[in-house]
Amino acid sequence: MSKFADFALGTRIAATSLADYISGRGLRLGVTGLSRAGKTVFITALIHHLTRAAAPAVRSGKNMLPVFKVHAEGRLARARLEPQPDDTVPRFAYEEHLAALTGGGDSKARQWPESTRRISELRLTIEFERRQGWRPGPAELTIDIVDYPGEWLLDLPLLDKTYAEWSRETLEASAAATRAQLAADWRGFNATLNPDGPADEDAARKGAELFTAYLRASRSERYALSTLPPGRFLMPGDLEGSPALTFAPLTLTREEIAAGSLAAMMERRYEAYKKHVVRPFFRDHFARLDRQIVLVDALGAINSGPSAVRDLETAMTGVLSAFRTGRSNFISTLFRPKIDRILFAATKADHLHHSSHDRLEAILRHLTARAIARAETVGASVDVIALAAVRATREGRLSHGGRELDAIIGAPLAGERLGGEIFDGESEAAIFPGELPADSRSVFRGEGLAVPDGEADYRFLRFRPPIARMADDNLIAPLPHIRLDRALEFLFGDRLA
Amino acid sequence: MTAERPRPRAFRLDDQGKVVSDEAVRRPTVVEETADPYEREVEEALTAGDSSEKAIEAAQKNGMIARTLFSWGGLFWTASGALVSLALTLWLTSFIEGLFARNSALGYVGLALAALAALALLILAMREALAMSRQRAIAKLHINLAQARDRDDRDAARRLIGELSALYTARPETARARAHLADLTREIVDGRDLIDIAERALMQALDDEARREIADAAKRVSLVTAISPRALLDVLFVIAQAVRLMRRISEIYGGRPGLLGFIRLARSVGAHIAITGGMAVGDSLLQQVLGHGIAAKLSARLGEGVLNGLLTARVGLSAMAVCRPMPFAALPSPGVKDVAPFLFGDRKDKDA
Repeated sequence: MSKFADFALGTRIAATSLADYISGRGLRLGVTGLSRAGKTVFITALIHHLTRAAAPAVRSGKNMLPVFKVHAEGRLARARLEPQPDDTVPRFAYEEHLAALTGGGDSKARQWPESTRRISELRLTIEFERRQGWRPGPAELTIDIVDYPGEWLLDLPLLDKTYAEWSRETLEASAAATRAQLAADWRGFNATLNPDGPADEDAARKGAELFTAYLRASRSERYALSTLPPGRFLMPGDLEGSPALTFAPLTLTREEIAAGSLAAMMERRYEAYKKHVVRPFFRDHFARLDRQIVLVDALGAINSGPSAVRDLETAMTGVLSAFRTGRSNFISTLFRPKIDRILFAATKADHLHHSSHDRLEAILRHLTARAIARAETVGASVDVIALAAVRATREGRLSHGGRELDAIIGAPLAGERLGGEIFDGESEAAIFPGELPADSRSVFRGEGLAVPDGEADYRFLRFRPPIARMADDNLIAPLPHIRLDRALEFLFGDRLA
Repeated sequence: MTAERPRPRAFRLDDQGKVVSDEAVRRPTVVEETADPYEREVEEALTAGDSSEKAIEAAQKNGMIARTLFSWGGLFWTASGALVSLALTLWLTSFIEGLFARNSALGYVGLALAALAALALLILAMREALAMSRQRAIAKLHINLAQARDRDDRDAARRLIGELSALYTARPETARARAHLADLTREIVDGRDLIDIAERALMQALDDEARREIADAAKRVSLVTAISPRALLDVLFVIAQAVRLMRRISEIYGGRPGLLGFIRLARSVGAHIAITGGMAVGDSLLQQVLGHGIAAKLSARLGEGVLNGLLTARVGLSAMAVCRPMPFAALPSPGVKDVAPFLFGDRKDKDA
């Protein structure tokens, strides 16, 4: 049955692809990123900029997207949001997210959107004048964007793993230095279980609970670990309390899993999780992407130390290997759609001075080296940038104690602390966040957690969103950004030529 | 080393953007906002690649590496060509049949001649295709080298310099330069530097030769125009010289344009003149008009001669720009004044 469903879906995909190919109008943009990488903010900023860019009130001011060619050349007529295309998926709450970012007119209430709890999508149509190609003149490009909890992305590597493999890997990882103490409770309980014993619902539930607690703890800001599948344990979405989530890795001693045993039950649930949760998610939302932007919160991981950075590397490599990349041609467009452009973006680039952006890009290059190499060998084009979809800081120069420092100026989030200062989220501060190392490899080296604040070479604070400016038509003007236009140009500039 | 490194610090600011601090009185900490760096970055991104380089690329795309799959004009010529060759074949068959009917020996001779002609045509067509692909390769090399130089991409530079050297393996006089470059590609030289070195080593001699050709052609054209008895004659002569000059320059830089290749080259040169025509208003056009004016005052024919000479020089320079396998970067791009100073009459500021 599922084979048939897959086949039917494949046929539908091919039909849509064919229609898109002929009209040249559709584009599916994959916004990929683990939780807290900034997917929601990126999508909100992208829509806001595109829908507002051509408005007369905004157009009269400074061009906010100078690198985005179609706009710079004055060929962008309008961008509008389409009615929700898919009846089973909620619409991306663009208006609410924008209201949250700007405080909805009250700049005191501005805050970053809450972390995404469920999947949503949006369709955006760009009206522009085509300059090249078969039919110059007015044309349209429809962009489909999906937003989803980044945690769920961690499930993609599970598709190729059996229960035994996953158990072994998870147990091995949980024994490593940083994780061992977080996982102590669960590991202790796990040791009392007999995988070959009879299936026991209570034990399974307890195990899953402790396992989830361990995953949640690892994710906290102090540790900021990333490789924590299964993702629904962290962000269950509509599966809250479902039996599909009551399983945990076991110490399997024998090759064979006996029928009726605890291990057999766990394995069955694991497979069910893959089949009913992971595969549909992947198939419905990632199987047919044309362009991909991979958002990586490298600064968050760097803040938490080398083990978090290495963990992020493992997670990104695993996740990215699930996508189909490669140069597209006519045949592949129809039968095996491929991603032919990938942009790797280190988000929150406004948290450090622009002179460190090259180093941030080098670190990101290093983090995603394997994914980049893979994409390049199959002919996809790849770019790496430091990005801030919404720029919360300005730049300045500090002279302090006879020394000149490159600083950023902004309002840190309430509760952020640096060097004895604890911020209230209201007052502004000039921050010297330290310099990233010139050798990108050094952020991967070393053990465990970040050194205490007083000894750290760098510390990246989080800032509140910038205060929104009103355009002449009394609507919110697009928020400042760093290189969002470059990202747009790379992702779909060629389709707007 | 760690002692040297400044630690992360935070300075709380008040409403006026001044630092709030206890020690502010003793040692004030000053914060000043800097100009937005991203605007500069954007500006750089926008102006990447100077306009003359863009003009060359646009011109090359217009002719030499144009890949138009379909156009009504193309269809018309293809269809008409096919009809004409069909008619020719028909005529040839009936002609040879007629020869056979008259005398079988004559028929065989006719058949052999026809076969020879077909063979020669085939070889000519192959050479034509080869020449076109060579021309396209050179234009591509130009664009890629410009890009690699812009990005300072060492791997690409090494690969492209290899291709560039391969282009001139048949020229013994470039042997030393090629050996030098082959050595350099194995050493640690940055991409941009490598490309600049290659330009100085390989292109200098070729550039000089091309400039000499342009100067000679311009001289001949202005002289012949000035003394030719009929307008038609000098028009024909100017066209012939322009054609010859374009072919010659293409040959100097390694291309061997046949007929179709030449048509594409001519389109590129035309496009380049059209694009750069506006740019040149500032310098040489003014001088052209001035020069023409003074010469024309002396004699109408002399003025025409100068004008035709200038035109030829412009054609030559445009041909040089689009045929050259690398952009002008380390070496200056010559102007009309550099190749045909005699047309301006003053030799003093030749190098200016």
